Amino acid sequence: MSTAIEYFQFVLAPQMLIGLVLGVAVILVALGLTIIFGLLDVINMSHGEFYALGAFIALALGSIGLPFWLLVILVPLVMLPIGYVVERGLIQRVFHSSERHVTTLLLTFGLGLVMEDAFRLVFGPNPHKPETPIPGAIDVFGVFLPLYRLFLIVGGAVIVALVAVVVYRTRLGAMVRAAAFDRHMAASLGVPVQHVYAGAFAFGVALAGLAGVLLAPIYSVFPTMGRDFILMAFTVVIVGGMGSIAGVVVAGLLLTQVQAISSLYISPVWSDPIVFGIMVIMLMVRPQGLFGRLGHG
Amino acid sequence: MLTVSNLHTYYGTSHIIQGIDLEVEKGAVIGVFGRNGVGKSTLLKTLAGWIKPAQGEIVFDNERLNGRTADHVARKGIGFVPEDRRIFPGLTVEENLTLGFLQVPRRSSAGNTAALRRIYERFPRLAERRNQHGTTLSGGEQQMLAMARVMIGEPRLLLIDEPSEGLAPMIVADLFAIIGEMKESGCTILLVEQNVHEALKACDRFIVIERGRIVLSGNAAVEDDRNKLMAAITF
Repeated sequence: MSTAIEYFQFVLAPQMLIGLVLGVAVILVALGLTIIFGLLDVINMSHGEFYALGAFIALALGSIGLPFWLLVILVPLVMLPIGYVVERGLIQRVFHSSERHVTTLLLTFGLGLVMEDAFRLVFGPNPHKPETPIPGAIDVFGVFLPLYRLFLIVGGAVIVALVAVVVYRTRLGAMVRAAAFDRHMAASLGVPVQHVYAGAFAFGVALAGLAGVLLAPIYSVFPTMGRDFILMAFTVVIVGGMGSIAGVVVAGLLLTQVQAISSLYISPVWSDPIVFGIMVIMLMVRPQGLFGRLGHG
Repeated sequence: MLTVSNLHTYYGTSHIIQGIDLEVEKGAVIGVFGRNGVGKSTLLKTLAGWIKPAQGEIVFDNERLNGRTADHVARKGIGFVPEDRRIFPGLTVEENLTLGFLQVPRRSSAGNTAALRRIYERFPRLAERRNQHGTTLSGGEQQMLAMARVMIGEPRLLLIDEPSEGLAPMIVADLFAIIGEMKESGCTILLVEQNVHEALKACDRFIVIERGRIVLSGNAAVEDDRNKLMAAITF
């Protein structure tokens, strides 16, 4: 019995804690992605680059002396109009075409490539490591956990809760859910659907930017940083249910725990194939994911 | 109030509305009849801004509405209750209703609250079930909710598509009572309905559509016109 407790305390729990930090990071990136997908039915292939853009804006503003905690508020506010203009200027132009899914996918893919090259040109190819805003560490289950990662777990939970409150408990959220389910009917009740779409895209992009600011002190800032998380974020969105906030949280925590715990028993190189294998199985068995789509009850 | 001139609408390559001219005066209730697939619903969807007309003009209260978005049309005072009710799943009865506030963006918060209270007084079943998801209501209650969320915006022109479809006779009677009340309040109504006998009681005039064109129009109070209508819509 005591061996089992020791195994949990010194082997399993530390690994689960590492998985939890990664899970929160993935959830933060996937949250905006799922809102955009759930509402607009647009697979935003440039979401990883918007995540990187948030980190680079924070890096640039931080270099002129703005404090980190101000950037946590400022960067999402800067990202909002960027997202709004991208949706109205680019996505809306192809949104009503019959090949909408392909064109928006290719459009955002191209946008992501342009952004990644622009980051390389402006900031160079090398990683930048912002200072950790909260130094120090504590001992949790015998594992050394930096305080900033602990903050990230708590802060991530607060962000998810706030987003869920906005989407499920406000009239603005009701407009978003109504437009996600039936844009014609929502419009006939006076919902300004095109602005709701652009606003939701901007909100998703702002969340990606916020994730960029918060994760930069842990994972560094570099032009291809968006790629690291985006595959996992897409997997989480597909497994959780395309557009479901609860789905992102459950799938984000579940898949990162699978990754973390499986790496105890098999070579870590197999953790990604296992996670992506779960996504493939989910698409075959339950294509709507664990929870349905945003606005679909 | 509403003038439709030479209206043409397509679904892809299918030419559905093939040149409709229609004049609707304020406060009138117009029945729109015809067999399935002749373009009745498409006419209402075009007027509501769901489908862009390929040709022609829609003028409502001196404003040209062609190509305007459905939310703009709604804010101009045109309410639409579509055929399949289209209650939003995941939204409570009250959320479904309060979305309708957006039809009148200039109305004060107190005005909205009063409008909601009036709706609950008129539809006590909806008041009882205000926190229940709209899609969990019975078919009749869902139809009432579909009507109520448009009525909350106090539209001046109401487009109603097949409201009695699939409903029990008692509910249908309730429904036509509501349409009658809307008419008495001065609302202009365009009503697409298969239950012609019941609809004619509420209508002032009617039109019959065939292959996207108006082939007959008449006065609902004139027996000769009613006989021509029945001959036109029955084999």
